[in-house]
Amino acid sequence: MTADPIEARVAELSAVLHGPARLKARMLEELRGGLADAAADLSPGPDPDAARRAVAEFGSVSELAPAFQRELTLAQARRTARTMALLLPLLIAGRYWAGSSGTAPHLLHLAAVNATALAAATALLATVFLALTGAFGRRLPTPGELPLAVAWTGTVAAAAVGVGALTLTAAAVLSANWPLAAATALLALGSHARIASSARACRRCARLPRADAFTM
Amino acid sequence: MRTDAVRGHLDGLLLAALEAGPLHGYAIITTVQERSNGALELRKGTIYPALNRLERLGLLRSAWQAEGERRRRCYELTDAGRRTLADERTAWREFTAAIGSVLDPALREAT
Repeated sequence: MTADPIEARVAELSAVLHGPARLKARMLEELRGGLADAAADLSPGPDPDAARRAVAEFGSVSELAPAFQRELTLAQARRTARTMALLLPLLIAGRYWAGSSGTAPHLLHLAAVNATALAAATALLATVFLALTGAFGRRLPTPGELPLAVAWTGTVAAAAVGVGALTLTAAAVLSANWPLAAATALLALGSHARIASSARACRRCARLPRADAFTM
Repeated sequence: MRTDAVRGHLDGLLLAALEAGPLHGYAIITTVQERSNGALELRKGTIYPALNRLERLGLLRSAWQAEGERRRRCYELTDAGRRTLADERTAWREFTAAIGSVLDPALREAT
């Protein structure tokens, strides 16, 4: 049985694209719908030749993939940045709240302070990334390296949160308010996993071939 | 007009096509082609990431619309999109006037 040219093209493109699943599915569904409309314009009834012509008019996988991937990469970068911008301030607040009572060894305290400072810096960077890829992107060109910068910022943030989780866990053992410290440690561990996973997905997307000569 | 020449102005073309009201992707393609009398060539599939980008920048909003068994993603201009379209038109008129006066001095003298 001859494969449907439209489904074949969509499947080919899907195989080379990586990024947030919902956005990828949405963009491919739109493309599939457009191809079907184009084929229907060329020939009213089911016509494999019209479908092949529509597929040719829409462009080859090598012509389409870079622009599609660029949007998927930026969507993943925004997702990673949003995760950092939302979770990190909560964790920083939780760390100060949980660590405000009781005493901790100096080394533990030093590690916690440095991890908190690093988390704060990455949260700020994440907010800047979101602005540059959102409304501010209308006026300022978004650097091509930005998704990779987001990915590595997320990696650093995940490491900082991981260190924070360790210090809070140690503080939970030592602190009089150990239930709060333990709860914050668990939250930090969960956030570390969430941010690390998102940063890993972002690194993967950012390393894929980029679109050139497409405006940002 | 060659595809690479069109690509740099794609944003403005897409925004202008949506000025009259919401359209789905393929209708936007045909609107641009009809208005240009077929002079503008572009790889049709490339408008989907371009539309996504314009939505990400807040210039468009979109929603799924059911049409029989299928559904289509319809786009419409936001207020920011309308302002950007107006800016693009102004910039284009200034650009073409400047280029035109150099390429065709008779045009400059006539104005």
